[in-house]
Amino acid sequence: MTLFVQLLIVGLSGGAIYALIALGYTMVYGIIELINFAHGDIFMIGTFITITILQAFNITDDPNVNGTLVAAILIAFFASMILCAILGVVIERIAYRPLRNAPRLAPLISAIGVSLVLEDIGKLWKGLSPISPPQIFGAGAVFYIGPISIQVVDIVVVVVSILLMVGLQWMVNSTRLGRAMRAVAQDREAAALMGVNVDFIISFTFLVGTGLAGAAGFIYLLKFPVTTFTIGFDLGLIAFTAAVLGGIGNLYGAMLGGLVIGLVQSLVNLIPDSNNPSSHGLGLPHGGGAWATAIIFAILILILVFRPSGLLGQQTPEKV
Amino acid sequence: MSAVTINTNPAGPVSSTRSLLIKWVIALLVPILVFNFVWQGDYLINNVILGFINPADALIGTGSLVQATIFIIFFYLVILAFAGYLVAADTGRRGMVEVWVDVLVFAVLPILLIVLVNNNLIIGLALCAIVWPIYFYIRRRVPFLARSQALSLPKSISVLNTEQKAAMVRRAKLGGFAFGLSLAIIWLIVDLLYYIAGAYPTELLVVTAVRTVFLIVAGYFLGWLGGIVAVRRTLSANGNPTNGSDNATQSDANERRRRQSLLLASSRAKEEVQEVVPNDLPLRSAGARRFFLILLIAFVLFYPVLDPFLFGYGTAGRLAGYTDAGYYVILALGLNIVVGFAGLLDLGYVAFFAIGAYAWGIFGSTQFGRLTNIIIQPNVLSWLFWPMLIVTALIAALWGVILGAPTLRLRGDYLAIVTLGFGEIVPVIFLNLDKYTNGTNGIVGVRSPAFFGIQWTVINHVPYYYLILALIALVIFANVRLRDSRLGRAWIAIREDEIAAASSGVNLVRTKLFAFGTGAFFSGIAGAYFSAKLGNVSPDLFSFNDSVIYLAMVVIGGLGSIPGVIVGALAVYSINLFILNNLDSIASDPSSFLYGIDQFIIHFIPSFTFGNIRNLVFGIVLVAIMIFRPEGLIPSARRRRELHQAPEEEAVELGSLDVTTTDPGFEAEVRIE
Repeated sequence: MTLFVQLLIVGLSGGAIYALIALGYTMVYGIIELINFAHGDIFMIGTFITITILQAFNITDDPNVNGTLVAAILIAFFASMILCAILGVVIERIAYRPLRNAPRLAPLISAIGVSLVLEDIGKLWKGLSPISPPQIFGAGAVFYIGPISIQVVDIVVVVVSILLMVGLQWMVNSTRLGRAMRAVAQDREAAALMGVNVDFIISFTFLVGTGLAGAAGFIYLLKFPVTTFTIGFDLGLIAFTAAVLGGIGNLYGAMLGGLVIGLVQSLVNLIPDSNNPSSHGLGLPHGGGAWATAIIFAILILILVFRPSGLLGQQTPEKV
Repeated sequence: MSAVTINTNPAGPVSSTRSLLIKWVIALLVPILVFNFVWQGDYLINNVILGFINPADALIGTGSLVQATIFIIFFYLVILAFAGYLVAADTGRRGMVEVWVDVLVFAVLPILLIVLVNNNLIIGLALCAIVWPIYFYIRRRVPFLARSQALSLPKSISVLNTEQKAAMVRRAKLGGFAFGLSLAIIWLIVDLLYYIAGAYPTELLVVTAVRTVFLIVAGYFLGWLGGIVAVRRTLSANGNPTNGSDNATQSDANERRRRQSLLLASSRAKEEVQEVVPNDLPLRSAGARRFFLILLIAFVLFYPVLDPFLFGYGTAGRLAGYTDAGYYVILALGLNIVVGFAGLLDLGYVAFFAIGAYAWGIFGSTQFGRLTNIIIQPNVLSWLFWPMLIVTALIAALWGVILGAPTLRLRGDYLAIVTLGFGEIVPVIFLNLDKYTNGTNGIVGVRSPAFFGIQWTVINHVPYYYLILALIALVIFANVRLRDSRLGRAWIAIREDEIAAASSGVNLVRTKLFAFGTGAFFSGIAGAYFSAKLGNVSPDLFSFNDSVIYLAMVVIGGLGSIPGVIVGALAVYSINLFILNNLDSIASDPSSFLYGIDQFIIHFIPSFTFGNIRNLVFGIVLVAIMIFRPEGLIPSARRRRELHQAPEEEAVELGSLDVTTTDPGFEAEVRIE
């Protein structure tokens, strides 16, 4: 039981990170119907920026809480967000805007190309082997509710993510820019007729989406001890699955999808290993953990079979 | 605005026979002579003759020499016929100089570039691929060459009567004769010069004399053959487009002509016009494409024999590279069915490839015996490769249908993500079910095929080369037949508009499942070949990156176009897996110019190697091609029409099509705008 609750909380924090990345995917898809394969790699660049800044401030594992630490954290967080946002806008300008009117497959392939370029830039920047960021929350930063131990990191991750998501919600629902974004997502031409600068709004969407990815990069490093140039692809794939699961184009769907996937990924570890004699043959060979990716995709496929537009997606009938 | 007119009362060819002869004989002569000079084709023939006369004098083994000689003789015969065709097919409206410049850039330049990079075919072609777009761009801008752009499409299709066809054949005979004569004279002079300089054995003078006479005579007859090829593609006065029979009655002929003019209406007219001879672009016509295709097929068939003469040492390495590239071509063709024909975006194609590879991997090794306790002798296993090829493909097709079933209701991007999911699930399953698949270590000891006396080993790659050629030929044939069948048309209908297709009676479920199944069938073939060649199979050989590469091959080559996809597969293979890796080996050699550049960059970026930035270059190439040429390298005709058509070309003046055959104006000219 305690294991279950602990896995639940870990799943929640992992899910929060997926949700942040999935928001970027879903925002871009909602507005220009493009699967931005490069989004995960922008997240990866965000993690590299954070590591570079933290290393520049000479932060080590489990540091003392003082001015330098706070400054380093703040600068790393905002720098990661801002630089990733700028990167996103640049990519949109170069690789996606010329293809605005091309057939559907062209921007997709272009996105894949950009993803490959970013991966190689990461490879050239930080090398081939995984690098470890300094662990700000050391192993001892835990607190207990009864028998259940909760890591402080998890709480921080969840809280910061919720703050960011709330901020996004407010921006999309209550500001003029947010209204313009929703308008462009709904009908681009009509929005242009209403006086919305469509190009600017699309760039702005990329700005916000990739900014969130940069923030996710910083948060990811708080929790996980290692990063490498391929996590962009790995995490991006799962985050994109989360976005699709929740209904792509729908912000709440992305958050819900991220949460579900995070929970699933954490809770599959409960499935026993059928090779292990103590499980009496139940479960899966090598335990649930090894099958996590497969199970996540299986859940996605099941849900898509019964609800083809995702959990919260709109069932728009195809019109002639 | 572009008008295409059908002339039923044509004048003769626009320019004189003599200028046509000069134009084409020189245009063909220059590349042939450059090629001869660079690779010394007649040196081969001389060596064979010498080898027969005096076995001790022969420098190279006779067997491959004879085969190479056969190829060379065949090559020159085809070129002679081609000369005849070109002279017959040309209207002479495009100037001489433009044709010569074109031939220089497209035929002579590649030869020189390949020689420049030390006879490395792939890197030479890559350099050409960089130069040619620049040339296209310049040609569009420079006014001197742009003069011909206004005439870039033939303005009229001539309907020919029997006299004009006979005149064409006469021109062709003359063309072949003139070309053969010039070639013979030039070689005669060169040989005599060598003889006078004392570097030419006397026995070979007989060969020279025979060759001279042979070339002249063969030129005449082969020119005639070229003329026949040209005549077969004309519009005849009786309205019958294939041959000039006088049997049809007049009203039948008029009916057929009217149907033809209706058929040639709207934008297809321009494409049809290019196919019909005589025209202004004979080098791009369908007849010329036949000749190019024949030469290409002969070259590919004879390649293992020709390679030492053309490219020097390292034949084995090159053949190994080509046998590796071969299964990419099959995979690209298979994916072309799913994505290109049926429009179902499949991002997880590597799953079917893995299924095919594991199917042969499990059966063709000791794993099968371990699992089912049926022990088959390893030698028998090798023979069983051939039936298992079909069985593996069918297993993969079955899984294609199974994995395609959940996707039937999904549209567009959801389909992509589900197929991506399958592409991820299948290798994970293979990884974790290690009771059957041996997990991370994979299955080793997979048998390669066997046939009477032919050894498929990794030492000599020639049998693998012919095996993959045979497989590719079969797959191309299957694809062409599929594309032109009812099923193929159903796929294209689904791709364009599902609802309209369903309203026209296309069974969506069956057609989509067939698409997945057929695509998986071909990937099963590739998988069996892959694991047989590699000798082992493990889950880490299959990843999403590979799916991306296959998709890139299809999209870059041209969605739905079979030659495009083949070229795309070879291009992506060269860029991604070949060029940059080889640049590394060149850069490590201190004497090459790349060494300095390499050292300079390493100062700034320590982890830099050319192999490392492979994905960077590939990614940039992908983005660039999508921005500048989204329809791919060789787009299918339909696609080209979609993406580059100006709206005003679609207007058809319907009034003229209502003109009936009895109106007095009909005979003069039918105008379609």
